[in-house]
Amino acid sequence: MTREVDARGRACPEPVLLTKKALEESGEITVIVDSRTAEENVKRFALSMKCRVRLERRGEDSLLFIEKPVSAEVSPEAPPYPASGPIVLVISSDRMGRGDDELGEVLMRSFIHTLGEASRRPETVIIFNTGVRLAVQGSAVLEDLRALCNEGVRILVCGTCLGFFEIRDKLAVGQISNMYDITETMLGAGKIVQI
Amino acid sequence: MKGADYCVMLFDSVSSTLLAEKILKRQEIPHKVIPVPRHISSDCGVCIRFSLDLRNRVEPALAGKVEFREICAL
Repeated sequence: MTREVDARGRACPEPVLLTKKALEESGEITVIVDSRTAEENVKRFALSMKCRVRLERRGEDSLLFIEKPVSAEVSPEAPPYPASGPIVLVISSDRMGRGDDELGEVLMRSFIHTLGEASRRPETVIIFNTGVRLAVQGSAVLEDLRALCNEGVRILVCGTCLGFFEIRDKLAVGQISNMYDITETMLGAGKIVQI
Repeated sequence: MKGADYCVMLFDSVSSTLLAEKILKRQEIPHKVIPVPRHISSDCGVCIRFSLDLRNRVEPALAGKVEFREICAL
């Protein structure tokens, strides 16, 4: 019998936790959520458990029909997100480290330069807070960031932050992004490197 | 940028490097502050990279204002 999980109105991470619990007790469940984020999260979790997922949208609601593979056991210790995934670099400031601003600025330039020479590149670079100043016209690291971008590194720049500093029109590298993309990319990462 | 001939100028301190950078910036001499390449030193230092043909502009620009340790070809 299909078990139904009504996770409407529940805040993250509750829908995923409810899904996980239901899958431990039943092989076939239907999860109802009312936000795209919850839908994405539940879907990603189910797929990471190797379940079959069918999605149906009814108005505001998303129904996820989830079927556990016959042989698999959903272990209670199983991570809700994939353990392996891309390297994501998070730059949360225009300076590297706390303390002296001038030094921090040099270290950041130095770091981003070195990134271009590193043998292992991040798949995505997420830039937020004062870090967004690195991605606008006049930034000392613009050329290095552009080079990374040209080599296929995805650069997500926080739109809220660009707006806050009123430099949205000066963005010179990367794509303006939102908290959904940022959260999703971070949670889907195999490894996060934060500067 | 690859394939160009560069050299790096090493200093005894980060503050000297930054001072030199300010001077070069003011004189509009193209350069870049980069970490000291591994094969030159294992210290976590920064240095100034510029193209070899600018050497004859860089040295006089800094003369008497900031001391550097050495210039290495890359």
